Amino acid sequence: MILRSFRFVDLESPVEYFNTWLTPVPHFFVRNHMHEPIELDASGWRLSLGGEVEKPLTLSLAELFKLETHSVVNTLECAGNGRSLQRPQVPGIQWGKGAVGTARFSGPRLHDILQRAGLKPSGKHVMFRGLDEVPGKVPPFIRSIPIEKALDADTLIATHMSGSPLTKHHGFPARALVPGWIGAASCKWLTEIKVLDAEFVGNFMSPGYRLPNQPVKPGDAVKPEDTHAVTALSVKSVISGPIDSSSLKMGKVTVHGAAWAGEADIVKVEISTDGGTTWNLAKLGRDQAHYAWRLWSYDWKPGRGGDYSIQSRATDSQGRVQPETPVWNPSGYLYNAVDQVNVHVS
Amino acid sequence: MFRKISAVALLAITTGLPAQKSAPANVTADLPAGAMQTRATTACLECHEARIILQQRLSKAAWTKEVDKMTKWGAVVDPADRDALIDYLSTNFSPDKPAYEPPRTANKNASGKSGD
Repeated sequence: MILRSFRFVDLESPVEYFNTWLTPVPHFFVRNHMHEPIELDASGWRLSLGGEVEKPLTLSLAELFKLETHSVVNTLECAGNGRSLQRPQVPGIQWGKGAVGTARFSGPRLHDILQRAGLKPSGKHVMFRGLDEVPGKVPPFIRSIPIEKALDADTLIATHMSGSPLTKHHGFPARALVPGWIGAASCKWLTEIKVLDAEFVGNFMSPGYRLPNQPVKPGDAVKPEDTHAVTALSVKSVISGPIDSSSLKMGKVTVHGAAWAGEADIVKVEISTDGGTTWNLAKLGRDQAHYAWRLWSYDWKPGRGGDYSIQSRATDSQGRVQPETPVWNPSGYLYNAVDQVNVHVS
Repeated sequence: MFRKISAVALLAITTGLPAQKSAPANVTADLPAGAMQTRATTACLECHEARIILQQRLSKAAWTKEVDKMTKWGAVVDPADRDALIDYLSTNFSPDKPAYEPPRTANKNASGKSGD
């Protein structure tokens, strides 16, 4: 893994790991805004649910396990994935292309827990609080999602990841799983759910995790009132092989990678080996799920030796296409420009 | 003693991953030498490690915002040191510096099949 930070732990998957539909948990990126909880005791852990509900609840892990379990294969991506590729550069963890991974998340539906507590009509947003250890006077990591997304049948309180209990890095014993949305929506080490009558007000809702309402020129400042919360992921593809700057022998080269689109589906992935002049369809992998990436591959036979730029471009079911140039924003969120690797064929 | 344990080894313990053979990274990287090194270490590294700073490439205006935000969030910066701290960070971690090369922590043998 690529060590972006040891304290707090921020680990990035090298893109060459993206050759399996489900990312092995030890190779799944880790994003922490703060210290991980020092102590996590499964038997003493409780999840409280309050706010705009008729009957506030407190659930133990054993009680959570008694609820009907649902599974969602989801591609989870940090909003800041690709930040290091923005120009001018912006502050934050300087992720390359690998703050993304796919896993089968399992646990009860948030919908079922909210229904059990008796949702009041005044409930419009659902707030999550985790057990992150807050350093100094840093605001706690608390965010909220709109009630419509909270009640979606695929929004979970996940206790398992690809068949095993969540590891500490990934939010043991329970985390929110808000499929198709930026990773920050899926709060780890969940301890409190609160139904609110409005969006939560706090640093990680504003000014954090916001995008300009209108495109801005690279480097421009944006007023807070001209922004909105980042929610669903963009359409995006990455090339996981051949890796950048590699030397290849003449013959068949399989270009491969992954493509995802948040709440939309990948329709096609195109490959160019001539700097974007012509594009050819890649073959999409058979494994698919609504919120999960599609692996793809393209067999290429270079006609001659030399230097090549290989590019990948995804299109989704909403008609979104990866842009040729990055769409800049002051926090470097949702970078999704056409991907490119440079190789030498001899 | 803690400094002598490599981040690679420690992450191998915490993640169960075998350590990679590449040059091990110390748990704590150091900030660059300079008049403000000690004060920057005290102010910034109480809450997070140096790599979070080492990987940034920001303008002086952006570093000014960061220093003021972090001071509000608890970083202990003597008002008399603020401008010098901003100069130190924006001189050492400006956009024209070479790209930061992060260390790796584990082997690269992802399991499973490739292709579709």
